Amino acid sequence: MTTFQRIGACALILSTLGGCAVWQPPQPWEKGLLAKEAMTLGGDPLEQRFDLHIMNSKEAASGSGGVGGGGCGCN
Amino acid sequence: MAATEDKRGRWGRITLAALALPGVIGTPAARAEEPPEQGLIAFKYLHYQDSQKVETRYPFYDGSEGSRLNRIKVKAPSLYVLAPVGKWSVEGSGVIDDVSGATPRYYSDVSGASRSPGMEDKRKAGDLKVTRYLPRGAIALGAAHSTEHDYKSTAVSLEGRYASEDKNTTWNFGIAGTKDRIDPVNDIVRDERKRTTEVTVGVTQAMTPRDIAQVSLTQAAGRGYFNDPYKLYDKRPDKRDSTVAMLRWNHHIESLSASVRSSYRFYRDSFGIRAHTLDTAWVQPVTSIFTLTPSLRYYTQNAASFYYDPVPDTDVYPAPVGNPEFSSADQRLSAFGGITVGLKLELQLGRWLTDLKLERYQQRSDWRLGGQGSPNVDTFDATIVQWGLSTRF
Repeated sequence: MTTFQRIGACALILSTLGGCAVWQPPQPWEKGLLAKEAMTLGGDPLEQRFDLHIMNSKEAASGSGGVGGGGCGCN
Repeated sequence: MAATEDKRGRWGRITLAALALPGVIGTPAARAEEPPEQGLIAFKYLHYQDSQKVETRYPFYDGSEGSRLNRIKVKAPSLYVLAPVGKWSVEGSGVIDDVSGATPRYYSDVSGASRSPGMEDKRKAGDLKVTRYLPRGAIALGAAHSTEHDYKSTAVSLEGRYASEDKNTTWNFGIAGTKDRIDPVNDIVRDERKRTTEVTVGVTQAMTPRDIAQVSLTQAAGRGYFNDPYKLYDKRPDKRDSTVAMLRWNHHIESLSASVRSSYRFYRDSFGIRAHTLDTAWVQPVTSIFTLTPSLRYYTQNAASFYYDPVPDTDVYPAPVGNPEFSSADQRLSAFGGITVGLKLELQLGRWLTDLKLERYQQRSDWRLGGQGSPNVDTFDATIVQWGLSTRF
């Protein structure tokens, strides 16, 4: 599968998800729920780093869609 | 009209702030427009302990191995600071990993593990990131460095994000380079190097007033020394290219005041690894100051193309049959599945937040999805505890 095909597949999944939830992008005055802390697409930065660091050192896969975390010689 | 525009701008900023993810790692989501209004200081303490069952009867076991081996213990305090400075923000973190214990040198064979007192190491790592906020976007420059007595790593990154006019869509990109230097204490090699370049692109979309999703694709190219110098018969290619496709989706359930955070990750690399990760957490406020978040994660991978199963012949074990160009008996490159069950408790008292997260992780060959796991590798467990305290200023 080429990079473009993978991007297309991801876009299709996102579109499907949108279809499930009925695609209705919010109006400016409808964004209060999305502003909640729990709806953040990230979360606690230190917790995220620990979680990634642990799993990256115990499993073969690594990464979470971001860049630049640096490496380690983890056991 | 002016009031409407003001209202629209304010809610747009709030939504973009909701997409924010500070830090060097992780997805550079969309804190696109405004710098954070408040600073943040956060402390987190990690206690990690892993262990394994001793069930597989490897050749050369003499019956004195016991039924369980405690492997690696990590105690790690960390600190994170975020400071807004006009149209800029500066954030940085530091961590000290105090690592001790033992790991098998092949498979989960405890006769090959470094025995008590085992290894001890202290890893010190820090990162710094400076972000400049623009009318509908932001650019961030980051650097990270970590050092152990046998491993040093330095990374630099550049990230950018740009929002649509209605601020419901944000595009992001990132590029990073990492240089590692490996100097194992057993002197099996000296001054080995590894370089990795990563590129990521993504899009975040507010789909409904209760749904937000993000898709990202990350490509990494690594060149250099990928062997584990402490494993026997570990000869890996000097090139590792990987692709990560990530999908995140958060949904708010108004009737329960709860938020469901879900993600799926697909990973593949030139070692022949294909892995899938499903992660979900249910964020449930119990009172105005107390929140409970149970979570569940499932991970599955196939084996690397050069991983070899244990050979029962004592004339060969633990070596591979013949003399293959590449080989590894590292459990982490075998085929397995893993499940993590977690519970997080958060208590918000004014500007202060404290949290406690407990997790249990188990890795088993027969939990691999879509095929059999690697034979004759013992079940691996880990207990992870994180305690945090933070305040805004």
